[in-house]
Amino acid sequence: MTDSTPHLPGQESWPGLWHHLAVYGSSWLVAMLAIILGMFVSLLLGLVAALAAGLSFLTIHRLLRQKAVADQEKHLVDEQLLQSQKLAALGKLSAGLAHEINNPLAIIRQEAEWLLFLCRQSEPLDMTEAISGLRQILKQVDRSREITTNLLNFARRQQPIVQAVNLNRLVGDMVRLVAKETEQRRITVVTQLAPDLPSINSDAPLLRQVILNLLNNAMQAIDQDGTITISTQPTEPEAILIQIHDTGCGISKELLPRIFDPFFTTKPQGKGTGLGLSICHGIIERLGGTITVASEVGKGSTFTVKLPITLTPKEI
Amino acid sequence: METFRILIVDDEDDFREAIMKRLRARKMEVAGANSGPKALEMLDEQEFDVIVLDVKMPGMDGIETLRAIKQKKPLVEVIMLTGHASVESGIQGMQLGAFDYVMKPVALDDLMDKLRQAYERRVLQLEYGRKNI
Repeated sequence: MTDSTPHLPGQESWPGLWHHLAVYGSSWLVAMLAIILGMFVSLLLGLVAALAAGLSFLTIHRLLRQKAVADQEKHLVDEQLLQSQKLAALGKLSAGLAHEINNPLAIIRQEAEWLLFLCRQSEPLDMTEAISGLRQILKQVDRSREITTNLLNFARRQQPIVQAVNLNRLVGDMVRLVAKETEQRRITVVTQLAPDLPSINSDAPLLRQVILNLLNNAMQAIDQDGTITISTQPTEPEAILIQIHDTGCGISKELLPRIFDPFFTTKPQGKGTGLGLSICHGIIERLGGTITVASEVGKGSTFTVKLPITLTPKEI
Repeated sequence: METFRILIVDDEDDFREAIMKRLRARKMEVAGANSGPKALEMLDEQEFDVIVLDVKMPGMDGIETLRAIKQKKPLVEVIMLTGHASVESGIQGMQLGAFDYVMKPVALDDLMDKLRQAYERRVLQLEYGRKNI
């Protein structure tokens, strides 16, 4: 016997076991170890991945939240800006109105005080003087009344009267109205009117006012030599588009957001009231549509009016 | 076809008379005035549904007359008649509440169409006013 150690069953020596295992179970063990290792590694990787995902999710979530807050703040600022612009416009309007009414009031006050003074004199009242004073007062009252009547008429006209409107015809009419002036300025007017345009329910005189204003602006933007393209087309859903494009001077990016503001004008003093586009904007809004502008300095501007096919008149 | 009351305001007698004659043939109630002040005077005396108003008249011009008409009777519809295209008077007229612009020479059918629309608008407006008072 070469091996002196007694060989008891179940009591194999380590090298023996190792040998045994190496011979009979090595592939088993390696597989097991590999599996355990694999599980361990994948668990670790999964954990890392989960951690990373969680972290990135949190980051993205935070970013989104920050963006939402920023958007909200921007919206708020925009809103406030709009509100303050509106207030400024209202302020200007009221200032103009106050001025218009204060003038006759001032005259009335002067005349009344003068009459009071004459009446308190000891000598007999100068009748011609008194009558002329009273006449002046009546005249100024009429003048004030005219202002308020005009305001009332203006307010009444705000309510659109809904009728069937053939837009292609309306556009054609307005183009003809500016034809002489465009000819003098050597401006070509191209009309691209969709033949299948449905007639829409809207307020025709108000729309004429808008189209005429936009054509006039386009003409002034070009001044001399250029092209105005006016087109109509149906669009989804249940709406139509009118586009007026000019090859004029264009509007700078800085001024673009303000062009619909009341009293804002780029025209030289006395040439524009700054009310044209703001009136257009107001009209189109009341007609349930939108008016937008795209422009590039030196290339021209495009005004796009979108109108619903059917306008349901809103109560004011 | 409903009959309605039309006032033609134009200083050119031949044109005014011709158009009145033809509108009468279409069963319209038509009256004529040769100037702005005359038109305003007639407006005090009787009711009209639609006024056809020449832009270019000596003395009180169409725009001035339109302003005065709208002050007197805001709900009367006014169609402006113009011999030559004028952007400025066009814008002014529309802002003062004119219903439409018609270029001379005008085909009677076209004018009739616009008169009808203007009348329809007046009826709608009167109805609306009645509902909201």
